[in-house]
Amino acid sequence: MLNLIMQLQMLLAALSMFLPLVPAESRIRAAEIIDVVAKTLAAGNAIGANLDDLAAKLAAIRAEVEAMASAGRAVSGEELEAAMTRVRTASAAFRAALETAEAGAR
Amino acid sequence: MKHPLRAAALGLALALTPACASLQLGETQIDNPISAARTLDQRAYALLNAYAAVIEEATDIVRDPSAPLAFKRALGQAERVATPAAESLQIAVTAYVRARADFEAASGASQPALERAATALTIAAQRLSRAIEAARAPVSELEDLVRARRG
Repeated sequence: MLNLIMQLQMLLAALSMFLPLVPAESRIRAAEIIDVVAKTLAAGNAIGANLDDLAAKLAAIRAEVEAMASAGRAVSGEELEAAMTRVRTASAAFRAALETAEAGAR
Repeated sequence: MKHPLRAAALGLALALTPACASLQLGETQIDNPISAARTLDQRAYALLNAYAAVIEEATDIVRDPSAPLAFKRALGQAERVATPAAESLQIAVTAYVRARADFEAASGASQPALERAATALTIAAQRLSRAIEAARAPVSELEDLVRARRG
């Protein structure tokens, strides 16, 4: 994702170099369009970082499960309880954030 | 040269093109931890942790003031379905772990006690298998929503 955005940013930088080729009367408008796209891509970059967060978390879980599977190790009751505690904590934080968002919209 | 600036711009643009092309598209991959599991309890563990990770990301979206309220509500609706499914999964996997421990403990016991423990373990495994399948769809729905927003 981040590479895709970086690729688009580089493409945008390359396109902006063609600005002098644009007729003078349209040049300001073209520069504005490129500026808006650049800002959108910068915002997308921040979002992409979050997607990478999810990918990193899922990769860490996968690595842990792979290690368990290759060792032929069973999951302990404590590990299951910890996983469920993580779910409950995340769920409570999510619901609280949603309530705040709903309250803010009123 | 009639237009040196334009020529320089074109040259630079062409110079950047290979750099653009050399980058890998869509390198971010979402790992599926469940497919790495070999046993039922490992699958349940992977699913519970993966779900927790997805809700954590969903929480970040809900906290984002630029995210549309309708989308946040859709996330809320998906979470209200998925979390009870995760709770049912946790109950099923806990029962399975207990039944497996009972079966292992009964290995030196009499034949009827061993058969009872084996039957209980089979039933617990079937219930866990159903709970995993039941939880996968709502968890995937929430994950798809998060990815749709993030991707």
